[in-house]
Amino acid sequence: MSKVYESFVRDVSRLLNGREIVMCLRDLTPGRKKYKGINVRAVVSQPPRQGEDMLWVRSVCGVKFPDPFSVRIVENMPDVFKGAPYTDYFDAMERAER
Amino acid sequence: MTAPNDLRAFLKAIEQSGDLVTVNGQVDWDEELAGLGRLSCERQGPAFMFNNVKDYGGWRVTTNPIATWRRMAVALGLPADTSVRRLYEIYAEREQKTIPPVVVKDAPCKEVIIEGDKVDLFDLPTPMVHEGDGGRYLGTWDIVVSKDHDSDWVNWGMYRFMVHNEKYLTGYPRPTSHLGKMLLDGYVPKGKPMPIAIVIGADVNSHFAAAATFRLNGDEAELAGGLAGRPVELIKCHSNDLMVPANAEIVIEAEVLPDGIAQEGPYGEYPGYRSGEMGDALCCRVTAITHRKDPILTLDTTGFMDSSATTTSISGAIAIKRRLEKHGVPVVDVYVPPEGGVHLAIVSVRRGGAAVAKQVVEVLTQRRALISKVIVVDDDCDVFNIPAVLHAFATKCHPERGTHIHTYTGRANALTPAYSQEERAKRLGASVAFDVTWPPEWPVGTTPIRATLDQMYSPAMQEQVLRRWQAMGLK
Ligand SMILES: Cc1cc2nc3c(=O)[nH]c(=O)nc-3n(C[C@H](O)[C@H](O)[C@H](O)COP(=O)(O)O)c2cc1C
Ligand SMILES: [Mn+2]
Repeated sequence: MSKVYESFVRDVSRLLNGREIVMCLRDLTPGRKKYKGINVRAVVSQPPRQGEDMLWVRSVCGVKFPDPFSVRIVENMPDVFKGAPYTDYFDAMERAER
Repeated sequence: MTAPNDLRAFLKAIEQSGDLVTVNGQVDWDEELAGLGRLSCERQGPAFMFNNVKDYGGWRVTTNPIATWRRMAVALGLPADTSVRRLYEIYAEREQKTIPPVVVKDAPCKEVIIEGDKVDLFDLPTPMVHEGDGGRYLGTWDIVVSKDHDSDWVNWGMYRFMVHNEKYLTGYPRPTSHLGKMLLDGYVPKGKPMPIAIVIGADVNSHFAAAATFRLNGDEAELAGGLAGRPVELIKCHSNDLMVPANAEIVIEAEVLPDGIAQEGPYGEYPGYRSGEMGDALCCRVTAITHRKDPILTLDTTGFMDSSATTTSISGAIAIKRRLEKHGVPVVDVYVPPEGGVHLAIVSVRRGGAAVAKQVVEVLTQRRALISKVIVVDDDCDVFNIPAVLHAFATKCHPERGTHIHTYTGRANALTPAYSQEERAKRLGASVAFDVTWPPEWPVGTTPIRATLDQMYSPAMQEQVLRRWQAMGLK
């Protein structure tokens, strides 16, 4: 069964450049582990592609984009990204892409 | 009356004063539970005890311990109807009489110990507080204990922490917080993990002390003792050497990574908004969780009129007063109204004027700039009387000469909703003092007189009027 995730972005265009990107997904499967974060390398599409997991995207203020995306996970990444405390987490994800 | 000595005694006391509602029907940890707490803050309603949380049998959750003045009074061991002015006075007195903590060997918070591979943060009924938050917030009404790398200084602060996955939390103690300072000055440069303990459900005064504005190098455990009027009992953590309040319901022991980060936020915050501060936080790995057998998780439903509104109203206002006194400002009273989202302070002075207003805003933004607006009034205006303050502001503040703006870079409050995303990123900000005092250079004869009973009538006539008023049975 396909899953539903959400993700927070500073710049939504980064999601849709057709390349594999590194991102944090939050798993919206109901139950005790709802909202668990997983770091992944993935490809995002809009409109959603058949057979892929569904993705809702939110802005940094938590505002949900009205139309859904889909996401195909290419590989799971470690629990944390390399970066010192108080350094930018979006930059850390971009570094992890290279 | 004495201050309740643990969370459960406090809950009993607010139940007796009519300030706690117990909910036995099932409630969903996913938004519903926090939604009830949120509405209660907005309506100055009760604290809740949720006995039946979906997916989490055996756990209870209580909300917004001291988000009202009544519950704050009970926490301090006072009658629930104690006036705000009196609460301020009592805090100021007790803050000066700190009491060192004592160490104990055994405590209920060790009844259950989970460590290593067994640690799973999803075993705790952490609520989803607002729709659209970055995740579930476990640390909303906590005490985060940390120790300085190079000295014996131990700090308690109240800072938000979000569940990332089974074993990792992310958190946002501001970089300018004492924990942030310990981390950035001591542990990060040496590449060492920093042990912390996130304490949930200790006695309310310990949490109040953690949230309080207290001096650098100060030990908030001593402040907690002062506020409660008795020493706090501490017990050693299971997986590190930190000491935590023995009466805690839950203790989460962790180490902050010196070189790893993960998603934190966004989160609906104390100013009453979710304003897009994200991607600038810390990450920690949980090493152990210890808790009581029938634990109670505490939650502050962050937002307008949450528990930070009352706690910071008092501790922030007293800190502002002491700071202004130190800089020679002729300050009489300071009030930080809870409705102002800790962005507004009202300061009364014995002698006002432009120079004083300017000095007030400069002094208050020197190090951390959390207050956005300061209303400076003459001391014939009661700072706790908002209608009187509003009247003075609307009428006495010169729209041009009475506005003193002070700008700064690098230390603005990232959570201030008025700032753009660019200003937020650069910590660029401004604070303003509104001068609501009469210019001291105006001659008495041409300075307006307020048309109120206490200023426009002779003392004899005031007495006469008050006598007749009372004789009519009016209040
Ligand atoms: C309910 C509540 C939540 C808070 N959350 C945070 C937070 O997430 N980050 C932060 O830096 N301060 C937060 N604060 C404010 C700090 O607790 C406060 O500034 C305190 O003085 C910090 O201690 P410190 O001076 O030892 O750093 C919160 C306060 C309250 C009452
Ligand atoms: Mn401190």
